[in-house]
Amino acid sequence: MRKYVLLALAILFVAIYLFPLYWMYVTALKAGSEIFRFPPTFWPETLHFNVADVWVRLRMDRFLTNSLIIAAGTTTIIVAVGTGCAYALARVRSIWMDVAMFTTLMMQVLPSSLMITPIFVSFNHVGLLDYPRLAVVLAQAAKLLPLYIVLCRTAFMQVPRELEEAGLVDGNSRLGAFLQIAIPLARNGILVTAVLVFLLSFGEYVYSRSLIGERALQPATVGLQSFMGPNTSDWSGVMTYSAIYVTPILFIFVLLQRRIVSGLTAGALK
Amino acid sequence: MARFIRSVRDARGLDAVLVWLALGYLGVFSAFPLVYNVVISLQTVDLFSLASFERPFVGLQNYREVLGDPVAGTVLWNTIQFVVLSVVFQLAIGFGLALFFQQDFPGATYLRGLFLAGWIMPALVVGAVWSWILAGDFGVLNYLLRSLGITDGNIFWLSDPNVSLYSVIIANIWLGIPFNMILLSVGLAAIPRDVYEAAELDGAGAWQRFFTITLPLMRAPLGAVVSLGIIFTLQQFDLFAALTQGGPSNASNVAQYWSWQLSFQTYQISYGSVVSVLMIVFVVAVAAVYTRSTRHEQSY
Repeated sequence: MRKYVLLALAILFVAIYLFPLYWMYVTALKAGSEIFRFPPTFWPETLHFNVADVWVRLRMDRFLTNSLIIAAGTTTIIVAVGTGCAYALARVRSIWMDVAMFTTLMMQVLPSSLMITPIFVSFNHVGLLDYPRLAVVLAQAAKLLPLYIVLCRTAFMQVPRELEEAGLVDGNSRLGAFLQIAIPLARNGILVTAVLVFLLSFGEYVYSRSLIGERALQPATVGLQSFMGPNTSDWSGVMTYSAIYVTPILFIFVLLQRRIVSGLTAGALK
Repeated sequence: MARFIRSVRDARGLDAVLVWLALGYLGVFSAFPLVYNVVISLQTVDLFSLASFERPFVGLQNYREVLGDPVAGTVLWNTIQFVVLSVVFQLAIGFGLALFFQQDFPGATYLRGLFLAGWIMPALVVGAVWSWILAGDFGVLNYLLRSLGITDGNIFWLSDPNVSLYSVIIANIWLGIPFNMILLSVGLAAIPRDVYEAAELDGAGAWQRFFTITLPLMRAPLGAVVSLGIIFTLQQFDLFAALTQGGPSNASNVAQYWSWQLSFQTYQISYGSVVSVLMIVFVVAVAAVYTRSTRHEQSY
């Protein structure tokens, strides 16, 4: 009995917490006049699907394509550069590895909104601002690389060292052992972390807002912000836009929820 | 050359190459801007001198001007309120939920994981949803507060200078609860069950067990969560962009948003970098204390 009371309470807490999400979807489904009714309705009287209209009117295809390009580019760089570092940090114990780890952790906490000023000035010097999406990718990769290294390091630490040593005895080089034994065994952890990096970059805002001036190259976050002036009244459009934008993110999250949670908790406290 | 290749394939050389690849990237795109930031803050940088390398060196004059600006005081006080209130409420609510979900009932782990849905969403979208919830005339929060009899009239959350900062804090607390809760759950799970059982046998009540066992044993995780909370709160930018843009007239402006405004809206880039340098020093100090303390814990 007690268990079911607790379960009911737990569902109530989740419902209260996720109310903003519910409100986003409900508003997206309401007709224009019903949105501005006071007192508000908590379930749409008439369902009103304006997904197609908002998609076309607010040019969401363009914005989401840019978001995808930025997220894919960031993830590619991070996986290429960070995986080996995470492996080395997991395998070797020395004072230098401790220094490298400490440096990585320090780089993780630098806020984007504070780093953007020097990044903007130095990218301007070398002409990177002519390739604004590349500029965002390079900056965002530096922002999330430490997180990726820290989380992947725990994935590699769970791979038993003995398996690699057996590979070395069989005549594999260390590089071979890394590529053919360690990476396949840590595959799940690497994949989940890469997905996490992808999702976080898919919602990147500060760098894109500051480095991308041209409308056609901006990602979905910047697009959404520009539709929400101080006197927005197009809440139907804004909420529909938001719903279209976050639904795939939430879908991937629900699929990988267990793994993301365990990856985060293992990495964050180490 | 052949020896180098062999050492990369076989010996310690491999680890060095792998680590230097990542550190090199971070050096170019994080450490260099970090140092360059200090240089910019000592020069006069605006739209005219942006592209040139020969910018007038003005020493600490920028620092004097920024700190002497009357806005600086408002921003500092707002930042303190933003950080302290966000961290306190995130921690209190997150800890409460962590304790609740620690109990044994079906689906506890799964339901707890659902909270992270808030964390994974782009903060800008979270800001958009909250700005609709907090809207003055048609916002659902005003409706709930009025129908519960808590307030009489509509509160203009985003445009009233007395409350605009609190509206961002509310959204930020919402965003931070899941992370606090998950990390504290890990800490709670690490406390051995039999300690509680022994205490229960000795006749300790629930409150007594909480204050004499849970709190003391949770000191390290709580410290970690507070440090991480401060760091994440100082990274928060998107909510300000979506909700109040620091307004009205800086009533809800905080240091990390002000720095961006100075650089990218009024193009006083050297002033923006002054604020940035000062805040980065603070964030890194908090992070260094946190990292050192977790290292210390591990060595036991």
